[in-house]
Amino acid sequence: MSAIIENNQLPFSAKFLQFYKDRTLLAILLSLFAVMFIYGIFFTENYLTITNFKAIIRDAALYGIMAIGLTFVTLSGNFFLLSLKETASICGVTFAMGMATGFGSPDLAGNFLVSLLAALAVGVVSGVIQGYFVGMGGNPIVVTLGGAGILYGIGAWWSDNLVINFTRPHDAEWLGTGSFLGLPSITWSFILIAIAAEIVLRHTNFGRKVYLVGANKAAGKATGHENFSMAIIVFTICSVCCAFVAVAFVAQMDSAQSNYFSAEFGSSGDMTILVIATVMVGGNSIMGGYGSTLRTSLGAIFIAMVDNMMVLQGFNSGPRIVGVGLMIVFSIIVFGLFAKGSRAQE
Amino acid sequence: MSTNPILKISKVSRTFGAIQALKEANFEINEGEIMGLVGENGAGKSTLVKIISGFDPGFKGSYQINGKEVKFETPSQAEESGIAIAQQELSLIPNMSVAENIFLTGAKVKKFATLNTLAKMARPYLDEVGLTEVDPTTRINLLSVGEQHLVEVARLISREAKILILDEPTAALGEAESRRILEMVERLAANGKSIIYVSHRLDEIFKITKRITILRDGVSQGIQETKDIDVNKLVEIMLGRELANMFPSKADHISDDPKLEVKELWPDGVLEPVSFSAFKGEILGLSGQLGSGAGEVLASIAGALQSRSGSLTLNGETFLPKSPSHAIKKKIAYCSSDRKKDGLFLGRPIFENLTSPALGAISKYGFNFGSSEDNYSKNLAKEFLIDVKRMHDESGLLSGGNQQKVALGKWLSIKPDVLLVNEPTRGVDVGAKSEIYQRMRELAARGITIIFASTDIQEITYLPDRVITFYRGMMIDEHRLEKIKTPLILKEITDPFNETNL
Repeated sequence: MSAIIENNQLPFSAKFLQFYKDRTLLAILLSLFAVMFIYGIFFTENYLTITNFKAIIRDAALYGIMAIGLTFVTLSGNFFLLSLKETASICGVTFAMGMATGFGSPDLAGNFLVSLLAALAVGVVSGVIQGYFVGMGGNPIVVTLGGAGILYGIGAWWSDNLVINFTRPHDAEWLGTGSFLGLPSITWSFILIAIAAEIVLRHTNFGRKVYLVGANKAAGKATGHENFSMAIIVFTICSVCCAFVAVAFVAQMDSAQSNYFSAEFGSSGDMTILVIATVMVGGNSIMGGYGSTLRTSLGAIFIAMVDNMMVLQGFNSGPRIVGVGLMIVFSIIVFGLFAKGSRAQE
Repeated sequence: MSTNPILKISKVSRTFGAIQALKEANFEINEGEIMGLVGENGAGKSTLVKIISGFDPGFKGSYQINGKEVKFETPSQAEESGIAIAQQELSLIPNMSVAENIFLTGAKVKKFATLNTLAKMARPYLDEVGLTEVDPTTRINLLSVGEQHLVEVARLISREAKILILDEPTAALGEAESRRILEMVERLAANGKSIIYVSHRLDEIFKITKRITILRDGVSQGIQETKDIDVNKLVEIMLGRELANMFPSKADHISDDPKLEVKELWPDGVLEPVSFSAFKGEILGLSGQLGSGAGEVLASIAGALQSRSGSLTLNGETFLPKSPSHAIKKKIAYCSSDRKKDGLFLGRPIFENLTSPALGAISKYGFNFGSSEDNYSKNLAKEFLIDVKRMHDESGLLSGGNQQKVALGKWLSIKPDVLLVNEPTRGVDVGAKSEIYQRMRELAARGITIIFASTDIQEITYLPDRVITFYRGMMIDEHRLEKIKTPLILKEITDPFNETNL
């Protein structure tokens, strides 16, 4: 015992306070978690059940994975990929096409690997093209909004706006509805991707470059780290994350349609808004250079908890989308205020 | 001649934190007089100008206009007393017409005024500054930079300014345009306006002023009658000799073994291709004023600025860097003049800044688990006297001097053969300046070729082993060691072709 006290001269409470002081943003998020959790325990039925928490993490996984991809874009100072749901949509359509028709060759119909690779390839291509234009100096908002229109349009055109069904049993069930050690596959994916992303950001040269370029593009260029290649890579990472989520979601639904990730469809509202909200609520700097995928993951779980609470309280989708919107505004205000105090701005 | 001065400042002091920008400085100007205000960078010129024009009310001392004590809290109060300033950065609105810009504040203008009315009102002011041929309805951005300066002055006159402060009006102008400005200044003075003329261009100062106020380290060095003084004397008063001690001694001799050969390099901002060599272990200074092309040459060696033609030869290889990363691979490091813009990652910790150009050196297979980076960055920090305990602080929290040390020190991480530095000590306090000079000398002694560009005449005289002078995009001359003389260099960077017949 005495050794421990020697090593940690500060009493635990003081250390706890110091931890909070150093990490104001994280502290706010954790406190909100706690408040929500306690409120849930006392005022919401069926809240404190394992099933419910599995449901929360499962919900968080879908937009959490996309948000982790988007975090790379935001951290590198390239703002947002606004074609998130459209990328997911066209990748979902591609996957379903592969599963249902094998892209015209009946031999390949229902081949999971081919369909998966095709969907990921579509994600890579759209990410590279959008990243190229942003890297050349295009405004990320304009480029990716244009990209959104084109991607959604192609998906809708290709699928004739129809629902593409493929019947069970199929090879993708393990990803869509399967589980391992009691947790759904998509949850495992979320956990693994979150860990991998955090390692990449913290412990690789690429991760360091993401932060440096995000903190100051001009200085990045002067030290040999150009935003051109950076933009292509981060947009590709983000698009591939969208593609993966689309595949998992389509595998779960056994069908795809081009508007699957839009507001009028899913219970969780508009996917693009949700994912951007996740990155913002995590407290990542919109201007880049500051934040982490860990924050994003916590943000995803936080949003899923709020959404879950609202579902259990009997709200329908309208008010829940309003809730997500409020969280974006709130996070910008709160984190904006605290960021001023804790970071040198100029 | 010695009538009562229209504006008189006596024993004015101003401190910013620990830095004393002005120490009991005195200044005065008579009606219809052109008073030159000179001093090197950081001597307190801009502080004095700010105090006079009401931007800076936080000073101690006396400020009198027409013998009455005044205290301006804001620039607009100063303007009401007839004091107006034309800043180096113009405050015109590019997409609006000349006339609209002149009456921008709307004072003296009727509620509803057409452009024609404004144009008629603007005419006399434009004539007064010599823009007789300019149509007041022209858009500002169709005029040349020199004409825009004249419009700015016309605007000040329209508000009945009696005392005009012109802060480096010709810094960005060519010869012909500068002449127009000087003509205007003389015309205005003849019309009874008092003009405070701030400039680094000593030829202009000698040409148009009657008296000169010289500032050095925040102390006014007495007012000199222009006709009683020559360039040498003026420079001597400006610099003071004792400051030479902060510079390390020069190399004993310069090796004749060219390390870097620059052939026919031709970036934007330079009139003709430039060729020179830099030797192993020397410090080479490129001297020239803003817009002389010295900084542009440096940037194009580093690949930060495209060159139309030419090549570099370094270590037997001939190439032309296309980008900074290309130059870095060839062991050419470039520290730009604006560390906040492209020198530092202000929001990131110091150690990340220090290792940013050399991520490959601190990682294995692209992975970096911290321990080798820790040692690496600490060694760099020690070399440049940066506090090792602050390695995890954001670099934006450091003082200007320490930021500059980080901006420079990070380039040691790539073990450069050539170190290019643009303005090594801009915005840096005297102590850190001396340390930076010392370090640059030590690095040169280790065999690194250092080329720096500077507008600071002291630095250019005392730091380098060789100096190449630039004037308006042309390379003028080269000087070695003991032949580096301040007056000669000053002459070459301000008036090499005897255009002003000093």
